[in-house]
Amino acid sequence: MNINHLNGGQKLAVKYYIVAMVLFGAQILFGLLSGMQYLYPKLLFGILDFNVTRTVHINAMIVWMLYGFIGSVYWLLEEESETEVVGLKLGTLGFWVLTSAVTVVVLVFLLVQGGPGDDFTRWFINEGREYIEAPRWADIGIVVCMLIFFYNVSATFMKGKWSGISGVLTLDLVALAGIYIAGMFYTPNISMDQYWWWWVIHLWVEATWEVLVGCLMAWGLMKVLKVDRKIVTTWLYIEVALMFGSGILGLGHHYFWIGTPEYWLTIGGFFSALEPVPLVAMVVHAVYDSGVRHMKGNNNPALAWLIAHAFGNFFGAGVWGFMHTLPQINLYTHGTQWSASHGHLAFFGAYATIIIAMIYIAVPYIRGQEGIGSNLPDGGWKWKWALGLLNMGVVGMTIALLISGYEQSFIERAVGGSTWLGYFTAQIHPWFVQGMEWRMIFGVMTAAGIVLLLWDLLTIGKEPASNQKLQTKSS
Amino acid sequence: MNNITPWWSSESYWKKMAIWVTAFMFIVLIGLTIDTIPQITAGSERVPAYSVINKHIGYEFNDERNIQVPVIGAEDPLFGKVLSEEEAEALVSHGKKITQGRNCMGCHTLLGNGSYFAPDLTKAWLDPGWSSEPERENLMIEFLMDPIANARSFGSDRMMPNLDISRDEAKAVIAFLKWMSSIDTNGFPYNFTVIDKES
Amino acid sequence: MIEPVELQDFFIVFFSGAMIIMTGALYALFFAWSRLQAKPWLMSLAYISYAALFVSVLTLAAAAHLYGFWWWLVVIMLVGYLFAPHGIWKLCVGTHSTHQGDNPPIPLSSEQTPNKIAEEKGI
Repeated sequence: MNINHLNGGQKLAVKYYIVAMVLFGAQILFGLLSGMQYLYPKLLFGILDFNVTRTVHINAMIVWMLYGFIGSVYWLLEEESETEVVGLKLGTLGFWVLTSAVTVVVLVFLLVQGGPGDDFTRWFINEGREYIEAPRWADIGIVVCMLIFFYNVSATFMKGKWSGISGVLTLDLVALAGIYIAGMFYTPNISMDQYWWWWVIHLWVEATWEVLVGCLMAWGLMKVLKVDRKIVTTWLYIEVALMFGSGILGLGHHYFWIGTPEYWLTIGGFFSALEPVPLVAMVVHAVYDSGVRHMKGNNNPALAWLIAHAFGNFFGAGVWGFMHTLPQINLYTHGTQWSASHGHLAFFGAYATIIIAMIYIAVPYIRGQEGIGSNLPDGGWKWKWALGLLNMGVVGMTIALLISGYEQSFIERAVGGSTWLGYFTAQIHPWFVQGMEWRMIFGVMTAAGIVLLLWDLLTIGKEPASNQKLQTKSS
Repeated sequence: MNNITPWWSSESYWKKMAIWVTAFMFIVLIGLTIDTIPQITAGSERVPAYSVINKHIGYEFNDERNIQVPVIGAEDPLFGKVLSEEEAEALVSHGKKITQGRNCMGCHTLLGNGSYFAPDLTKAWLDPGWSSEPERENLMIEFLMDPIANARSFGSDRMMPNLDISRDEAKAVIAFLKWMSSIDTNGFPYNFTVIDKES
Repeated sequence: MIEPVELQDFFIVFFSGAMIIMTGALYALFFAWSRLQAKPWLMSLAYISYAALFVSVLTLAAAAHLYGFWWWLVVIMLVGYLFAPHGIWKLCVGTHSTHQGDNPPIPLSSEQTPNKIAEEKGI
């Protein structure tokens, strides 16, 4: 691949994008294995147990999304700052260090898996805390690489010029790196452990990541739809106010049942009810925008994925979140497949979609073309099918898991009294089993979508467009 | 050309709003954290001291709060040995490190957080699956040391893999589980059936 | 503090919770669309959506026992969702007048039909 015509930041971004997509593939591979183990518990039993496959599944997801975010920021860095990336060599070194570290961590997860209950295990094998299983040495490595990344970003904007987007982005990166440190300590007290653990998980996923995505979305809208910068910037600020306004104390909905005082029930309930407000704002704004300007994009796949992002965010975070967020009902759904259902749709809808959109924005530049219109030689069937399969696959998995989760909250929690017997009674119930079977079917569909997506990203725009005449938009 | 922009929709207004809202919410969160931390420190009312493993732990319905709450009862030392606060903390801590090192959260949930492939461990110490209180400690040790031979699958095909847990490690894990069951979790898990007192 | 949901009300709670968000979005959608196209009949659809939202919130409140202190949550949702689209619309008009001063706040004539995006958003 000849990428010499790209600027320095973009060259580095391509590296990040490639690793992101490889890890996306790994995420689905291990997701398929985990899903199969629900149906065939003997599969790889004692070799790659569920706790290993599931750990790789969720960690690959977190890491590929981070890679996607970092890549996206490097991609827009020089354009946004109007100057060359400061310390690009260090940034490139950071990329190789981070990628080596990720490789070692994954290999240790797969080959060593676990260790005795001592500090060596936590430092070098597995920390054993969901989502942040990476051992402590890797935590420190991640923070160092994030600092290099932060240095690149802030120094470049300082040398070049600041904008609203870059200001929000830079401050958000400070928060993102700072919050990660809240997860880097040991305590025997599980309540204290989970109190700070949620700072990392919630304040990343439901606050700082959302704002980071808001920055990318703002930039993407300017890029794809030529929306005016001033408007985009104002709306970015509005979104920050709404998201942090509801999202920071939305943390409360994780503090219902971990030993924390009862007032968190009220705080969590109230702020969860507020969390859909930014989404309502987006609906109104999207309708307004669509009327004010002709949304004629120059990049159909990117535009389609941005729309998928809007819908995915709304359903995954909004509808699926609110259905089981009030403590009166969360008492029965907390820690069941409900969480898995919500997690699948929300992570995909809010984050996977926008990163894919960002990569599609990059692709024509990488291939030295104007955009991706409707005049592709093959009619663009690959990206359209990838879009359809991925979205249908994830939505299908979400609904299948929802049915299993509903059954579980009923049989295990309400009737079975949450005992081990209640748990297994729910796990062998036909509704649950069938939910898991459908999840598997849709999981395979998702995997097919990824294969097609990767194929498309590798090939789209390589052949010259067959027909320069404008065709009717088929998206 | 900006003369028709009302102040409440200007960029500078929303920039300030974004900063103030974020700062305000964060300060409120800090305040709540300062209030919460002492209440979840081991040795508090909601999160008992580690030496609670010397006592009997129950889980009973509280009419006033309308939920089940842990009830700490008479002396009932774990494995028949009364431990000092320091010894108890060391044992519970060792148990927690084992659960982290073996990645228990990769299958189980603790306080409802983790994965959903195996039962929640919040009240595992009180689970009626351990037959009765006099038999519980031994059954738990045997299960943890050889979960395949002593599988507790309740009619499913799912089994816990053998994680090479030694007798001492099993005891530490059980200490951690017993201590965890004493945490006041606002009634989670709900409608829980507690293990029989007698065999 | 809380009165847990009863077994037979589980479905009602999940469904009404989902409906609150869905009807909230539909209300916002029809509201914005009606303003955009100056079509009053769309506004009636908007308020029908809000009425459905109202019923959903009350259904949720009854099933999830949102009484006493929790009643405030119900009131906030009912009032908040009613006025949010109005506020956001005003904000849209306001912000979009910032740069393109040559455009009127609502620069739409009847022949400008909503494009593909709006149609997709309209489900």
